[in-house]
Amino acid sequence: MSESETTRDKWGIAHVHASFNNTLITVTDMTGAETIVKSSGGAVVKQNRDEASPYAAMQMAESVAEDIKAAGIEGLHVRVRGPGGNGNKSPGPGAQATIRALARAGLEIGRIEDVTPIPHDGTRAPKNSRL
Amino acid sequence: MTQIALTGTPGTGKTTVADLVEAQLDVEVLHLNDAIREADLFAERDVERDSLVADLDAVESWVQAETADDGKTLVESHLSHLLAVDRVIVLRCHPEELKPRLRERGESEASVAENAESEALDVILAEAVERHGEDDVWEIDTTDRSPEAVADDVKAAVESEIPPRVGVVDFIEYL
Ligand SMILES: Nc1ncnc2c1ncn2[C@@H]1O[C@H](COP(=O)(O)OP(=O)(O)O)[C@@H](O)[C@H]1O
Ligand SMILES: [Mg+2]
Repeated sequence: MSESETTRDKWGIAHVHASFNNTLITVTDMTGAETIVKSSGGAVVKQNRDEASPYAAMQMAESVAEDIKAAGIEGLHVRVRGPGGNGNKSPGPGAQATIRALARAGLEIGRIEDVTPIPHDGTRAPKNSRL
Repeated sequence: MTQIALTGTPGTGKTTVADLVEAQLDVEVLHLNDAIREADLFAERDVERDSLVADLDAVESWVQAETADDGKTLVESHLSHLLAVDRVIVLRCHPEELKPRLRERGESEASVAENAESEALDVILAEAVERHGEDDVWEIDTTDRSPEAVADDVKAAVESEIPPRVGVVDFIEYL
């Protein structure tokens, strides 16, 4: 195996799904085909969403990070899907909390892409309509 | 004058329910999808999604001009929560039930998939709460319910007979 291949094997893609109530992380290989780790979801304590959601997401990210490192992954590119993923004040649990927790756990963070889907049915909102 | 948004991912039943509510309550219904096309309220086309990209300032002006000085107006569209309305009603539907509804309407598989994923991620609910706050948003789950039952809930929200509520569904396991 060449050195570049060895290096590439140590990187994965973290798919962070951040909904209003919950956060889900799936880590795949670089092709997206093979799932390495799938989180069980960081459900939000309903009574106190503002504080609970980033906290639950962070706790989940910490445990996911251990599994990822155990699988030999050292770095992650991040694909964020979800209204909590655009790096602003948002009621979603905040993909930002997840990404920070992954970084704090010692994983190198590469490209961060926002791939949030857009509802549409012959019309759609402009992209900048998200605050 | 009260302006109420009836929003939700495509296929959640907005148009169906708006027609039922219009027949039963003294409200005026504005269907934005038709207006955006017919009154030229768009800025560009999204070819990939076969959709007109709404010009929200133009939509806002159109809605203001169409709204009567008194009474209630229900603005029906998956964009309506992006306007300066007084309250927002968000229809929800489990993505696995949403998909056949959209397929039967003839949407492409790519559109069905992207709308189902939007619903699983609460995209519209989150935008509504971000803009209007939890105290002005009524979330209504339509999964396994008839349009008539959903219309009853929408009427209750319009008439302030039920309190605002958000966070009532969690569809993330669909992803
Ligand atoms: N509560 C419901 N249960 C089952 N099917 C529904 C319900 N509400 C609407 N539908 C059907 O789903 C499709 C989408 O409804 P529609 O009112 O056009 O949704 P929207 O305007 O939100 O895109 C239509 O075929 C409609 O008949
Ligand atoms: Mg419709």
